[in-house]
Amino acid sequence: MLANAFTTEAIAPNSSWTILDTQDQWQRFSQPFENDPSQQLVQSSLLLDGLHCAACSGIIEHGLQALPGIISARVSMSKKRAVVVWSPTLTCPSKILSAIQILGYSASPASHNENQLNSTSKNRAAFWRWMVAGFCMMQVMMYASPSYFTKAGDISIDIRQLLNWASWLLSLPVLLFSSSTFFSNALRDLKLRQISMDLPVALGIGITFIVSSAATFEPNSWWGNTVYFDSLTMFVFFLLSARLIEVKLHTKTLGALEALVSRIPENTERQNLDGSFTRVLNSQLKIGDIVRVHMGEAFPADGKIVLCGTSSGKISVDESLLTGESTPIQKSLHDSVIAGSYNLGQTVNIVLDTIGESTRYGQIVSLINQAAIEKPRLSQLADRVARPFLLFVILSAALSAALLWDIDRARALMTAAAVLIVTCPCALSLATPAAMLASASAFVKRGILIRRLQAIESIAGIDTVIFDKTGTLTEDHIQVKAISHKDGLSEVSALALAAAIARHSLHPISRALANACQNNEAQQQGLTIELDDIKEDVGAGISATLKNTTANSDLVHINLIHGRLKLGSAKFCVIEETSQLLQQVYLADANGWLATFSLQEAIKPNAAQTIQDLKEINLNVELLSGDQSHTVVSTAKETGISQFQATCSPHDKLLRLQALKQQGKKVLMVGDGLNDGPILASAHASIAMGKGVPLTLAHADYILLNGDISQIPQLIRHAKKTMQVIKQNIAWAIIYNLVCIPLAFFGVLSAWLAGLGMATSSLIVIANALRLTNFSARPTTLPLTAEKAK
Amino acid sequence: MDILFVLIPLSVLMALVVLGGLWWAVYRGQFEDIEEEGRRIFEDDE
Repeated sequence: MLANAFTTEAIAPNSSWTILDTQDQWQRFSQPFENDPSQQLVQSSLLLDGLHCAACSGIIEHGLQALPGIISARVSMSKKRAVVVWSPTLTCPSKILSAIQILGYSASPASHNENQLNSTSKNRAAFWRWMVAGFCMMQVMMYASPSYFTKAGDISIDIRQLLNWASWLLSLPVLLFSSSTFFSNALRDLKLRQISMDLPVALGIGITFIVSSAATFEPNSWWGNTVYFDSLTMFVFFLLSARLIEVKLHTKTLGALEALVSRIPENTERQNLDGSFTRVLNSQLKIGDIVRVHMGEAFPADGKIVLCGTSSGKISVDESLLTGESTPIQKSLHDSVIAGSYNLGQTVNIVLDTIGESTRYGQIVSLINQAAIEKPRLSQLADRVARPFLLFVILSAALSAALLWDIDRARALMTAAAVLIVTCPCALSLATPAAMLASASAFVKRGILIRRLQAIESIAGIDTVIFDKTGTLTEDHIQVKAISHKDGLSEVSALALAAAIARHSLHPISRALANACQNNEAQQQGLTIELDDIKEDVGAGISATLKNTTANSDLVHINLIHGRLKLGSAKFCVIEETSQLLQQVYLADANGWLATFSLQEAIKPNAAQTIQDLKEINLNVELLSGDQSHTVVSTAKETGISQFQATCSPHDKLLRLQALKQQGKKVLMVGDGLNDGPILASAHASIAMGKGVPLTLAHADYILLNGDISQIPQLIRHAKKTMQVIKQNIAWAIIYNLVCIPLAFFGVLSAWLAGLGMATSSLIVIANALRLTNFSARPTTLPLTAEKAK
Repeated sequence: MDILFVLIPLSVLMALVVLGGLWWAVYRGQFEDIEEEGRRIFEDDE
């Protein structure tokens, strides 16, 4: 039905897509269609937007297939992708994309980079290897089963021989194809004069095959006449299963990291000189370009909004993965947007001011990549242990074979094979990085960036937390703390009046007043204030005349209509200052004083709770601030910190830190990341606020992207849990090897059991680490924060 | 029991044929999106 809605002629290709029609452009998201090379068909993948239900995919498929030149179209609802097979001689990408647009959806080329293509073919090869091993294992087991169920002499020698040959034949693909990776890896490492864990495995497989082959073809020689093809195929299958699952679990742990790294679209609509838009690749964008970003798209670079499509002039953007701020943020004209955040509102135009790696997004991505490369201490230790351990395994395998050699040569070799296969250094070397990467991805999901994995170990061991004040415990803006006012005037209307005046200024104090008013907006419904003749005396105050107000408000009663209103310092308002200590701003009219507003740095709403949480997990909390003592005292009191020090210079802070270090304390330093760089760097672990700070300058182990300090107790708890999991993993790896190697050495474990043991062992380690991919919820004492932790 | 001399080689051959079939399936991407095809059954044909 819909498919007939347009014919070939009806489709005028959208001009913005025509750039994709050249061959070198569409090759970026296409590949030759593999099943039919003769017709030179091309297979392209497209990203779709606007799919709501399963029916949508049908509409697109039918619509596309009705076009000439399109051989087939397949839409995957779950991946939001379409794979279109088309003929370059009959149609072009712009027509395909326009056709999808006419159907009511938007599509963009899903340029698969080399990596993606490689990973598909790699995945297929791994899967195919596993399948060959599995299928041959089952068949070989069929041939082996008679020898398990019959007494000696029940089967004629000819039949037994035939069964052995059949098993040998079906073991060949397992040996030559499925286990080829073990052999090639072992060979590669030998050439580099290294020992990897593939070496014992390859040796074990090789020995088993040689022993069994000899028994098959020379049954009367000293090799004996027992075949182990079933064991061979089985442990190859087990090992491959473990590796397959390992890869799956690994992609799962890294999912959050990768979602972040690959969220920017490949191309963007850029404005030409004549005002029209052309879709260009992001690599061609330059600073100062104006680009158009549609609803649901990610911003390609940092920039300022220059044109909003909506009547309200506001859009909302989703910055959750970049700042940890989960609710969408309202942006209006001239506001900055950051690369990698999503436009949830209407189409906007932005002018780019930062592109590429210097954007906040680029910095985050490079930080994540850096952290993932670095090897934590425990991991290095495991790697160092692994080498002598492998040597030990090979030697003990040789020893076990030598001991049994004179008694039964075949059995001796098979015992050696079992020893080689049962050892699992993988579990040891996976123990640490698997757990730490899982934790790092849990942190990223909560807006916490980690600069080095080692920091997980250091933060788990701390016993003292030192906070900086400004920007850490307090917001970077001020707020109204107390209001005193003249009789006859209510607090609400005093504030409303002050805010109405303050709204015309950008001074931080004015903004604090305006914000305070907005916060209790509900109480002043129906109160309108109209001002006239507003003048700002920079650095002193603002004056205005009240033109009109709601008839029955108390503003009318105290007769303000006439005369000039003043908001500002005591001097500006011509009244006496009441307190030197507090920061205050006054409101006055022609008759004198009306109201006083005491101001204070806004303490973060969850600061007190955070400090209490930290104390609950037995940490000492201290406050070191460079500010005047009275503000530090009040902040300390409000947040519940008993130990504090005011008017600290950076040097004082460093001294205090060293004093604590000398007492053997392990200190976590929490600062804003800018002024306290050296202190952050010399503490055992450090956390910086990532708000408004260039991320590459924040020299801390952790960066809280949204500055939400209530994450810190959870962060510490999660780090402790991570260390626990690592210890469990290492303990498991050691115990497993301690138990199983002697068992194999004394011939208790058969080769297939050894393979199963090794496969399970490394899977247990990975599965244990996987428990860390989600942030642990708080224990039940505080349901509110527990809710947040989910 | 002489029939086993035919059946065992035959089973090897059959196993190889099945392997060939599996190869075709893997490299045609039959295992890559398992849910999609199941869902497709419930769609209306236009």
